[in-house]
Amino acid sequence: MRTSKVNLVIIGHKDHGKSTLIGRLLYDSNAIPKQKLQEVEAELKKAGDEGFRFAFLLDTFEEERRGGLTIDIMQTPFKTEKHLYTIIDCPGHREFIKKMFTGASQADAAVLVVSAREGIQDQTKQHAFLTQILGIHQLIVALNKMDQINYEEAKFKKIRDKLANILDSLDYKKIPVVPVSALNGENVFKKSQKMPWYKGSSLIDTLDKTVRPSTPPTRKPLRGCVQDVYAIEGRKIVVSKILTGVLQEGKIVYFDPIGEQGRIKKIGMFGKEVEKAGPGDSVGLIVNDLKKVKRGEVISYPRNRPKIVRSFVAEIILFSGVEIESNDLLTVRCGTAEKRCKVERILERIDPINVTVDAKFPETLKNGEVGKIVLSPTEPMCIEKFSELAELGRFVVEGKKGTAAAGIVLEANVAKED
Amino acid sequence: MQAANPSDPYLDELEKKSISVLREAKAQFRNPAVLWSTGKDSTSTLWLCRKAFFGEIPFPVIHIDTGCKFPEIYKFRDELAKKWNLNLIVARNEEALKKGVSPEKDRFECCTLLKTQALKSLLEKEGFDALVLAIRRDEHGIRAKERYYSPRDADFKWDYQDQPAEVWDLYVKPSEDFSHMRVHPILHWTELNVWQYVKQEKLPINPLYFAKNGKRYRSLGCQPCTVPVPSKARTVNEIIEELETSRIPERAGRAQDKEKAYMMQKLRSLGYM
Repeated sequence: MRTSKVNLVIIGHKDHGKSTLIGRLLYDSNAIPKQKLQEVEAELKKAGDEGFRFAFLLDTFEEERRGGLTIDIMQTPFKTEKHLYTIIDCPGHREFIKKMFTGASQADAAVLVVSAREGIQDQTKQHAFLTQILGIHQLIVALNKMDQINYEEAKFKKIRDKLANILDSLDYKKIPVVPVSALNGENVFKKSQKMPWYKGSSLIDTLDKTVRPSTPPTRKPLRGCVQDVYAIEGRKIVVSKILTGVLQEGKIVYFDPIGEQGRIKKIGMFGKEVEKAGPGDSVGLIVNDLKKVKRGEVISYPRNRPKIVRSFVAEIILFSGVEIESNDLLTVRCGTAEKRCKVERILERIDPINVTVDAKFPETLKNGEVGKIVLSPTEPMCIEKFSELAELGRFVVEGKKGTAAAGIVLEANVAKED
Repeated sequence: MQAANPSDPYLDELEKKSISVLREAKAQFRNPAVLWSTGKDSTSTLWLCRKAFFGEIPFPVIHIDTGCKFPEIYKFRDELAKKWNLNLIVARNEEALKKGVSPEKDRFECCTLLKTQALKSLLEKEGFDALVLAIRRDEHGIRAKERYYSPRDADFKWDYQDQPAEVWDLYVKPSEDFSHMRVHPILHWTELNVWQYVKQEKLPINPLYFAKNGKRYRSLGCQPCTVPVPSKARTVNEIIEELETSRIPERAGRAQDKEKAYMMQKLRSLGYM
C-alpha cells in the first residue's frame, strides 16, 4: 500500500482553469470510473456544452455546473509513480476566500494555475499570499491555456518572469513554472510536442520531482494538547493529541498554563499500550497525581515548556461577516484551548492582492481583509510563534456561525516568570 | 479489545484522524448520537467509537428503519446490538408508513419522509445536538464537498453554498444558530480502505455484501431501491481484490443517486445523509 501521501491544493484566479486541470489530471491517470464519465458526458450533452467536460467532474453542485463556477472545495485522489496525491480544488472567485483557506489549510504543496492569455490577476496574487501565510513552502506554477496563445515562448517567458518577481517577494524562490494546456492535455502528463523550446518536465513529472510529503515534526520540542479527561473504571484517562516531538512512557511532563506536573505511567493507543507516541497520535494517558488538568492544557517536557504569553502579534485574515476593532474581545482557539483575547491594537491593514501595507493603525478590519493585530489573552494562555512551532502557532477566531477568522502568530510576548 | 496482528500504518493514520474527530465531538457536544445502517461504513464507525472511548460507545446508536430494509439487516442489527451492548434507538416514521408512502410513487418523497423526516422527528424528541455519520468523500460527488463538522440549521437544511471554514483541525463549534452538527469521522477513507479495515480488525459484516448467484450488494440501501452488481466476491479478501481492479462505482446500484441528476444534492440540502 502506497504510504507516500501528498495533499495538493490547486489555487489561482477564477476561470484560469483549475478545475479543468484537475479533471485532466484525473482523466489521464485513469482515476475516474467509466460510469462517472458517462454521466458527466450525458449531462453536458443535455446542456449543449462540449468544451468544459473536465471541470464538470469536480463541479458537482448543480449551481456550479450551471454557472460554470466552483463554489466549494473537493478532495480527490490520484496516483503517480511516486505519490498518492489528494487534490484539493478551490474556488477562485474572490468571495470564496474562506473556502480556499479551508482547502489550502490541509495542503502539503500547492499548484498555482495562471492563464497564459490573461496573465497574473488579483486572485493569482492573493492565493499565493494566503498559501504563504499558511506556511506552505512547496509551490509549482502551471501556466495554463497555452493553446490560446499558440504555445508561444515569448509570452510564456514574460509572464514567468513577472511571476518570479511576485513570488520572490513572498519568499518563494526558484519556483518551477510549467507551460500546459489542461484542455488539450498538452504537457500535463507527457511532455508536449508543441513546445520544443520548453526544456523542463511535464507537470506530473515536475510534481513528482519537486514535491515531498510532509515529514512529521518528531525533532521539535514535545507539544501535545489535552482533548478531554475520561473516568474509566475508576481511573482518570487524559485523552490527548500529540502535535510535535515524542512522548515517552515513564517521563515527567508538564501541563500548562495550569502548571501541573506528573509522570506518564501508561500511554494507551486504541486498545494497546505503547512506549511512545509521536506527532498525530491520539493517546489516552494515565498520569499519576493529577488534580487540575482539563481540556485545553498543553503537554510538554520540563526542559522546554511553552510560555504563558502576555500578548502576541498575529497576522489575521477575516472571513465573512466579521469586523474587528480595538478593545474587542475575541474567542481564540488554538490546539484544544479556547481563550478570550482582547484586541489591543490593529497595527496594519494589508492589501492581500498587492501584499502591501495599505493602512497603518486602522480603526477596524473588515470582512475579507488581512491585517496585523496585537492580542492579549484575558486568561493564562500558551501559544507559540508560527515559524517555530506551526501546530501551536495558528488559531481561529470564533464567530456566531463558525470560524470567523484565522491567524498565525508572528511574535509572542512572554509574561513575567512567577 | 485486542488488535492481534501488526496493523497497516496507512490505516493507522486514517484511524488516528477519525478517533481524534470522535473525541472532539464528545468534548464539544452535550448529547451526540451515532447513525448506524448496519453497513460496513457505519459498523466501522461504531468500532472506531469503541476504540476512541475505551471499549464503550457512550452515545445512543440510531437505526433509521424505513420498514423496507432487507431482513438480513434487521437480523444483523439485533445480533450486533446485543453483542456490543449498544444503546440502540430505532427511528421509524410510523405516520408515513401507515399512509403507504413508497418509492414506486415518488422516490424523492419516500426518502424524505421515511428517512429524513424519521430522523428529524427523533432529533427533536431526544434533543441530540450532534450526529455522527459514516459518509465518505469518495462515495458521491456531493458528499465530497462535505466537511468533518457540518452544521445543519433550524430547518435541518445544509447550507452548502456557505459552509463555515474548517481550518487546521479546529472544527466548527455548536451554536444556537445550528439545530445540530453532522460529524463525519471517516470522510477521508475510501471504499477500499473501509474493507481493508474490516479485514484487519476482523469486523462483523452483513452477508448481503457477499456474492450470491453472481451478484452482490456493494451498498446497502432499502430493498426496493437497491440493486446488486455483478460480482463473484464471496469473502472480504475477494471483495478487496475485486475493488482493487474494478472501476464500477460503489453506489452503482442506488436508485436515488441516479434519478434526477441533482437529487442527491437536493436530498442532502434538506437534511438527508
